[in-house]
Amino acid sequence: MKVTIKELTKKFGDFTAVDHVSAEFDDGKLIALLGPSGCGKTTMLNMLSGILPSTEGKIFFDDEDVTDLSADKRGVGLVFQNYALYPHMTVLENVCFPLRIRGVPKKERIEKAMKFINLVHIEDYLDRKPAELSGGQQQRVAITRALIKKPKLLLLDEPLSNLDAKLRVEMREEIRRIQKESGVTTIFVTHDQEEASSISDSIMLLKRGVQQQFGTVDDLCDNPVNLFTADFLGTPTINQVHGTWSEKGFVADGQTEIISFNVNIPTGTRLIYASRAEALKLNQDKQFEAEILEKYKVGKDTLVRLKYGNGSLRAYTEDKTIQIGDIVGVGMKDFGVFLFEAESGKRLL
Amino acid sequence: MSLQKRKKSIDADVKITYKTYLKPLLYLLPFIISISIFTIYPFFNAFVISLKENYKALSGSFTGFGFGNYEYVLTNETFILALKNTITYVLWVVPISTALSLLVAVLLNRRTKLQAFFQTAYFLPLVTSAIAIGLVWRWLFNFDYGLINFVLSRLGADAINWLNNPSYAKIALIVYGIWSMMPFTIILLLAGLQNINKQYLIAAQVDGSRPTQTFAYITVPLLAPTIGLTMIVNMITAFKVFNELFALFNGKPGPAYSLYTVIYFMYEQFYVKYRLGTAAASAIALFFIVMILTLIQLYMQRKWKNY
Ligand SMILES: Nc1ncnc2c1ncn2[C@@H]1O[C@H](COP(=O)(O)OP(=O)(O)OP(=O)(O)O)[C@@H](O)[C@H]1O
Ligand SMILES: [Mg+2]
Repeated sequence: MKVTIKELTKKFGDFTAVDHVSAEFDDGKLIALLGPSGCGKTTMLNMLSGILPSTEGKIFFDDEDVTDLSADKRGVGLVFQNYALYPHMTVLENVCFPLRIRGVPKKERIEKAMKFINLVHIEDYLDRKPAELSGGQQQRVAITRALIKKPKLLLLDEPLSNLDAKLRVEMREEIRRIQKESGVTTIFVTHDQEEASSISDSIMLLKRGVQQQFGTVDDLCDNPVNLFTADFLGTPTINQVHGTWSEKGFVADGQTEIISFNVNIPTGTRLIYASRAEALKLNQDKQFEAEILEKYKVGKDTLVRLKYGNGSLRAYTEDKTIQIGDIVGVGMKDFGVFLFEAESGKRLL
Repeated sequence: MSLQKRKKSIDADVKITYKTYLKPLLYLLPFIISISIFTIYPFFNAFVISLKENYKALSGSFTGFGFGNYEYVLTNETFILALKNTITYVLWVVPISTALSLLVAVLLNRRTKLQAFFQTAYFLPLVTSAIAIGLVWRWLFNFDYGLINFVLSRLGADAINWLNNPSYAKIALIVYGIWSMMPFTIILLLAGLQNINKQYLIAAQVDGSRPTQTFAYITVPLLAPTIGLTMIVNMITAFKVFNELFALFNGKPGPAYSLYTVIYFMYEQFYVKYRLGTAAASAIALFFIVMILTLIQLYMQRKWKNY
């Protein structure tokens, strides 16, 4: 099912938690809702599920306007951050609950449940109470409970945040697998950009309730619309150096050399030069010089930290002879290098 | 933490001597003294008195120990009537007051703004003298001027002689009993309801559950421990019904002495007939009946409450 939101807004008193967000989530896709804590991710999910009424805007499931439809009639599956499994019911009863309230006979609902239960491998705990399960097991029960009513839309609110690093990676792959197999349109909330990048078809990035960018992972990484997006995505974090535009190019604070770019910017504009670590090359096509501050081994490459201007830059190199203290020439590849207006964060290049 | 300090705390953990209990005991002393004087001593004393035959309160004389008092009480027609009345009272009052209280508590739990007001309003009967309230109920049930008969006449029904007809008098007592039991129950259930994590109710709603289904499948089971507790406390209270009876029928055990309760029987043996032995025996008999029923209820609840 395709989900469309138009100018969706939620105000709590004077505070705007979600601010005129519009987007289309295509059928069968897994969309990550990404942003720092408090940016309105849960609020958005609650509006989609019908728990929270919106202040302004519309929500469409396919062509049907569901803005005023109550939660019990939306047919949405929701996995809460803390799972919210019913503590007095066994795993099987929890999973069957959505069918039970629809009046499905006991035998039939257990039959249906078993299909999903086999999908997520919780066969061994059917008679246990939620309190007797680990976080990962609880999560799988919660997902099963959300899936069993064949939702048209599956919403997951930071479902992995309670898990340890290893289980987290396992579970996100499992969620991806279950999502692919069931083909349900899924919105996955997270504040972890790596998690979002690894699992989703596309990412919506929010900041203080305002949509920053909505697109594929590659879109957001290679073509960020502003400094916030560039800074939020990618590992390691994008390099940033403050400076000014002189007639021909960018001059970093505390440096004299001009790094030229083919773009028109008024002279004197305060800028932030940003580049991905992968976009810099050492001792090739030199555009400026920098001093090596630190170096680390990362796989078969070496990650170095360079001092430049008032900031520092990270770059990868295969050159093993480089030593701390060396002055190296730095060149740039034709991707992953951006200029942002310092004040607004707007992208200029 | 410095080494010395840590050593000290380890010592405190290890050495548990009678001195360890001295300070807490000191704090508990007022409570222990008062409960000993007013609860534990009277209980054992009543037990001893119930076994003394032909006990005379003034002289303290008695003819020997035995079960004569119990024999008298358990074969006494009035006591058996009292027991029957009391059990009928308990069986009506406890479930109905619990159910009604649950209803009110759920309604109150929704309106957060009125809640503070209602919590006070429902608490009021708890701190008001039962006798004063009894007088109000007597007026409500009055044959000629009572509000209840007034409403009945407006509805086209015949006036009922609530307080003078034995079978209606029983209903009047039960109605008053239900009413007087509700405030305490409502407050406990309301506290229980507020302790239920809202997320379960929201989760149920998203699962497609209608409000009545959520109530039946989620709220009530999660409230079961509280419901069980209130039912036990209320059952014990209901077994001791006396004030309501005394106030409603002006000190008499109902019309034509038809509404004896166990405590009224005990009161009569003690204050009117000065038969301390049988009064004590009936109190101890009631104690054992209540204890057994409480144990049964606790046992059933443990099976019922299971998370
Ligand atoms: N009921 C409410 N009343 C007032 N403000 C609220 C309410 N619910 C949320 N907010 C505010 O709205 C903003 C967005 O909250 P929300 O829970 O959607 O954040 P989030 O992105 O899910 O954060 P997190 O990653 O920490 O879960 C926050 O600043 C929060 O304080
Ligand atoms: Mg949240």
